[in-house]
Amino acid sequence: MTDLFVARDLCKRFGGLQALRNVDVVQRAGETLGMIGPNGSGKTSFVNAVTGELALDSGTIDFAGRDITGVRPHKVARAGLARTFQAVRIFARLSVRDNLQTAMLVLDDAANSLEAEERVELLHWLKLDHRLDAVAGSLTLFEQRRLELAMRLMMRPQLIMLDEPVGGLAPGEIRAMMQILNELKARCSIFVIEHTMRVIRELADRVVVLITGEKIADGPPVDILKDQRVIEQYLGTAHA
Amino acid sequence: MRRYLRSAITPQLLLLLAAAIALAVVVSGNRFFAFVLGITMISILWAAGMNLLTGYTGLVSLAFAGIAGISAYGTVGLVMRCGWSFWLAMPVAVLGAAVVGVLLGLPSLRLKGFYFALSSLVIQTVLSLGFVYFIGLTNGDTGISQIPPPDIPLTGVSFHGIGFDLLLTFAAWLSLAATWAIAHSPFGRRLVAIREDEVLAEAIGIDVIRNKMLVFFVGSLYAGVGGALYATYVGFASPRSFDLLSSLSIWLMVAFGGRGTFMGPVVGALILAPVPFMLQQYDTLKDVIYGALIIAVIVLMPGGVYGTLLAYVRRLPSLKRYLSKQRGGVPNDGSVRRS
Amino acid sequence: MTTSAILLIAISVITTGLVLGVIFSLVAAGVTIVYGSIWLPNASNGQFFLTAALICWSFVTWLAVPIWVAALLTLAVSLPISYLLEATLIRRFYDVPDRNIAYFVLTLGVTQILSGIFSVTYGRWSDQFNLPPMIAGVTFIGPFPMTNNRIFVLGAASVLLALLFAMLRFHPYGRALRAVFQNREAAALRGVNVRAIYRLSFALGMLSIFAGGILYGMAYSFDLTVAWTMAVTAFAIMIVGGPGSVLGAVVVGMVFGFTQAGVSTFTSPTLATFSYLAAMLIILLLKPSGLFSR
Repeated sequence: MTDLFVARDLCKRFGGLQALRNVDVVQRAGETLGMIGPNGSGKTSFVNAVTGELALDSGTIDFAGRDITGVRPHKVARAGLARTFQAVRIFARLSVRDNLQTAMLVLDDAANSLEAEERVELLHWLKLDHRLDAVAGSLTLFEQRRLELAMRLMMRPQLIMLDEPVGGLAPGEIRAMMQILNELKARCSIFVIEHTMRVIRELADRVVVLITGEKIADGPPVDILKDQRVIEQYLGTAHA
Repeated sequence: MRRYLRSAITPQLLLLLAAAIALAVVVSGNRFFAFVLGITMISILWAAGMNLLTGYTGLVSLAFAGIAGISAYGTVGLVMRCGWSFWLAMPVAVLGAAVVGVLLGLPSLRLKGFYFALSSLVIQTVLSLGFVYFIGLTNGDTGISQIPPPDIPLTGVSFHGIGFDLLLTFAAWLSLAATWAIAHSPFGRRLVAIREDEVLAEAIGIDVIRNKMLVFFVGSLYAGVGGALYATYVGFASPRSFDLLSSLSIWLMVAFGGRGTFMGPVVGALILAPVPFMLQQYDTLKDVIYGALIIAVIVLMPGGVYGTLLAYVRRLPSLKRYLSKQRGGVPNDGSVRRS
Repeated sequence: MTTSAILLIAISVITTGLVLGVIFSLVAAGVTIVYGSIWLPNASNGQFFLTAALICWSFVTWLAVPIWVAALLTLAVSLPISYLLEATLIRRFYDVPDRNIAYFVLTLGVTQILSGIFSVTYGRWSDQFNLPPMIAGVTFIGPFPMTNNRIFVLGAASVLLALLFAMLRFHPYGRALRAVFQNREAAALRGVNVRAIYRLSFALGMLSIFAGGILYGMAYSFDLTVAWTMAVTAFAIMIVGGPGSVLGAVVVGMVFGFTQAGVSTFTSPTLATFSYLAAMLIILLLKPSGLFSR
């Protein structure tokens, strides 16, 4: 398998706080990579750095064979690396249809824009097809998360970075979302941040553990669960 | 782009043009009414440009009249001093003003909401001081009078009377057609996305910086064309015509009508532009009335007259299908009360 | 130029700078307190500054009351005005996110109304307005004269500033107000009545602006254009000093006061206003949180 995404030696400091400390992450094409760590461990900073939201102090990021270090967010998105936000972010005052059409703009000029039947299929899969005229802000959180996902898929990403995709959802909704995410694997590679192990165990092929900005473990979920350092520093406290 | 330009020629727009021409012809018998209509047409043009910035993109730019002033003084200077034809001078001055407009829009890349509005107010004040200070170019507070009207190329005569009124009418209509085309183009959608959420807009691949610069360029074109036409129509240009209060008046026309709606600013300009003329010698009352209206719009009617009407009508199912084709919304500048 | 002439100029710059500086500081403190708590950038601060001076002038001229009575009455008048504005316009936006831009445009509207009213009323009656001196006579600082009246203004403004500082630091209301500055939600959780604090800070801000206007009217003759100059100056001080920072308002206010005094001595006061605008723009672009932000 080829490397889809390679982050080398990422460092970022906020005043006295070291948010990222020499972080190396490699994701292969088709692989689902999870990132876990307690709150404030630098997970979101990592995604922000990769997607150009946050300027790095040092380090390089390659995506699909291209150096995207320091590239502005819209170009990263256009290169095929989409991301969602921890607090769901949609155009709350526009209709669902307008949200989706705005997300399609990025491919408007390109030949690879989504065919009409693909769009119909996508919206049907995410159960948004009957909600197109609703104001996005009036949707339930679960619907908003699906809309967020649909907007990203309208851009035909190669890799989608999900920041706590089940955060705030009810137990039943979490199960439904997990199924959606499992089906999503057929469409693009997934990088997923969570601070609960359960989601990662079910979804990820490989897990990176981040603690206070430092990568302390990297491997299949089963091994990570046995890793003494992870148990001590993270699982131990999380289960306490 | 042509696709969107073609879509601009809709039956509604043609009807608007016919109505405006009819109005211009009807009032042409009375010079006073014709003059009020002419100024109203320029106001519509300005309001359309301000609507692109404030309504669609959510940037409250209080330097708008200053940009118009740069173009007005530029055009007048090139015509009166260098002997250029208006039709050569105007595009040059407008382009110059638009470039300045882009430069003055640069703070918007760092500043949001109130802070950008404040920076634009500072810039407007500096421009106003500049208009007074560079007496050689602007004749200071006294202003430049006896500005000749635009020439009709190759004929040796100038636009005057009904001809000039129709020219203004056409210019106003053209600005609306352009706004319509922009609102229905990907560019227009990008602007709305930037207004609603810049971070999300970037995350879905929209170049926020480039589109903001573009909208400042286009918006300044509106300001500039209006400025050049205003100076030549009135025959007089002074710093007072292009000061902060002028910017606020244009903002008010947009907000009073309905920010981010296509027809709102037209309604606002039609209602508000004639107000100073109706007051005649009680001219300063205009400030009081405009001030009161600004407060009323912010407090009572964030959507504006047309916007509120539109929201009301949208609830009626019979009209829903027709109106769902019209896009619009209220800009994200805090004047909207959210639940 | 002789040494004594230079000294004379220097003394005059220093005394004018001090008087203007404390007045600027007082007004800017009023503006910045309100922005820090309510998020209301009061663009009409200059008009209220002028309103205070004009009301005081009216009391003296029409009711023929002594100047100190007029000054106290004017301060008292600010309270119902504050209440009315708060109850009709300001209160309804307390819970709106991004309300600062709505408030900004709103107060620009208020500015337009007041300036329109003043230009057809006071503007018709007189070009220049003068208040009688609080204390007559001249005191010599060495060989250099300074009117007792300006010394009084300097003292009064300093005392008011000190009172404002003391109140913010030591009085329970002041402490609650500073808590709201820092974190509205946390303050609410600790049992602070946020809305009451909002009302209080608005009244306090208006009181400071009114006091500044009255003192300015006592120290100098004024015309209607002072409103615009003051509005620009106070905003520039607030932005440069850091919105919400009273210390910043005082420090930058003093600096601007001396700038005004110095620049006006040698060239035109317009240039001073111009330099404030430039300073504000530079700070907006480079450090929007201001020089004295926490």
